[in-house]
Amino acid sequence: MKKRKFISLYVVVTMIPFLLLIFPLFELVNRPTPIILGLPFSFFWVILWIFITFVALIVLYFIDPDKNEEGDF
Amino acid sequence: MPHWQIALVIMIVYLVVCLLVGIFAGRGRDSSSLDEFAVAGRGLGLLVMWFLMGGAVFSAFSFLGAPGWAYSRGAPALYIITYTAFAILPWYIIGPKIGKIGKKNNLYTVSAFLKGRFNSPWLAIVVGMIALLASIQYLATQMSGMAIIFNIMTEGRMPIWLGALISYGIVVVYVATGGLRAAAWSDVFQGLLMIIVSWVVGLSIVYQLHGGTSDMFTTIARETPEFLQIGKDGSTMSPMAFTTIILVSVIGFLMWPHLFSKSYASNAKIIKKTVLAYPIFALFLVPLLLVGYAAVGVVDSGELSSPDQVLPYLITTVMNLPGWVYGLVGAGALAAAMSSADAITHSASLEVTDGVVKNVKKNLTDKQTLLIMRLGVFVIGGLAYYITVFGGQGLVALLLGAYGAIVQFAPGVYSALYWRRATSKGVLSGLIIGTILNFYYQLVADSVPFDIHAGIIGLLANVFVMITVSLLTKPQEAEQVSKYVDVA
Repeated sequence: MKKRKFISLYVVVTMIPFLLLIFPLFELVNRPTPIILGLPFSFFWVILWIFITFVALIVLYFIDPDKNEEGDF
Repeated sequence: MPHWQIALVIMIVYLVVCLLVGIFAGRGRDSSSLDEFAVAGRGLGLLVMWFLMGGAVFSAFSFLGAPGWAYSRGAPALYIITYTAFAILPWYIIGPKIGKIGKKNNLYTVSAFLKGRFNSPWLAIVVGMIALLASIQYLATQMSGMAIIFNIMTEGRMPIWLGALISYGIVVVYVATGGLRAAAWSDVFQGLLMIIVSWVVGLSIVYQLHGGTSDMFTTIARETPEFLQIGKDGSTMSPMAFTTIILVSVIGFLMWPHLFSKSYASNAKIIKKTVLAYPIFALFLVPLLLVGYAAVGVVDSGELSSPDQVLPYLITTVMNLPGWVYGLVGAGALAAAMSSADAITHSASLEVTDGVVKNVKKNLTDKQTLLIMRLGVFVIGGLAYYITVFGGQGLVALLLGAYGAIVQFAPGVYSALYWRRATSKGVLSGLIIGTILNFYYQLVADSVPFDIHAGIIGLLANVFVMITVSLLTKPQEAEQVSKYVDVA
């Protein structure tokens, strides 16, 4: 994959969860119930997407064309 | 031995260990090297880098302010974990690029970075000054956090002025002697301590008071559902305010000089791996929010002089915990405050030296520069101490006040990296207008249009002015632009 294409992919993939955690989309989950895993629904939603982002970043890292570059250091 | 004495002993032991870690970290390195002092020879490893970036987020604000937000505002406290998880992500793309530009042009700071592209000493001076003021404000919040903790955990026996002096004095000593490497290694120690403390103490408070999080939240959701929502009748924050505070924090985060300049301190691979592991740091904050919710309905807000004191208040007054828990929480909170304070003190000194001193008095040798940076640590420390002891506001208001001004660097930094047509006049005028508007809406105006965060209003004006003025002024020479934009 070309570097430019990877950057666009990176931006898109990280923007999706981010947009789900701010308004207007956050309104979809802006309520305390049901309580899941001991957390209010909105709280659970935030943690869920942070976790998904974490996994997505690891996948992105593996397809990063420049991941082994140490730079000229 | 009474509780407060045990707590005092534990906190003092903690401070001594910090001092030793900080001082020993720099041993065996070339203490006369400017590169070593400023960016640890540009070779920090993954573990250290992760804690260095994480420690800067785990601040007095997260340790005292986050439970305070959860307790007094409810659902809007979620903004803290959302922004922590996402604010680092642009670094994956821009960090390696800034690092390469920095290596080629021998840079340590934000001000020198902007000056290198736009060739404008005035831009560097303005950035250096804003960085200094914002850092002092930020430091003052960390320092009053440390002092409050010392004071409460010793049941009022340690006066504010002395608590701030001891804990911050230690930071100043190890930063001035060991530079970035000392700050980094003490952050590893402090980071581990505060993660352990926040989970153990946070969860035990929730279980002792409510028997678990489900019962706790079920009660709150039944009695005051709007407290766990945003923008409803009786909620404490509107959707616009919630969204724009996240935006301003996410955009501003990497513009903080102490975080921005870490791009210079390692290589591309380490930067990328640091970003990967980072969202986990946001999840470490969860128990601190739970503590705040646990206090709802238990602590009467009239008993607190500020919501920021809810965590120490629960431990010392509401629950009958042993003295060593006082001490551990005290040490954890000190760790949180100190690991932010060291990095900020260090970078504020670098920014003033690079941005202001070097542009007023040119032709300094490396040796003189290093000496000024070391002395700067003491001067900035002294200023922040003065403000902490003689003037105070709520922790959160102070931090957000400083944040608003720092976020105004973002249009200039991103243009320096990606926009060929940007000019120095455009960036400088955008920065000035954005900063003025931010201060106006934050400190002077009675209300803000549509509940938008003042920093975002400043940012919109900043971008608009920067683009307009850039297009009206003469383009930069292609060769100069290429030194930044074309770095792969």
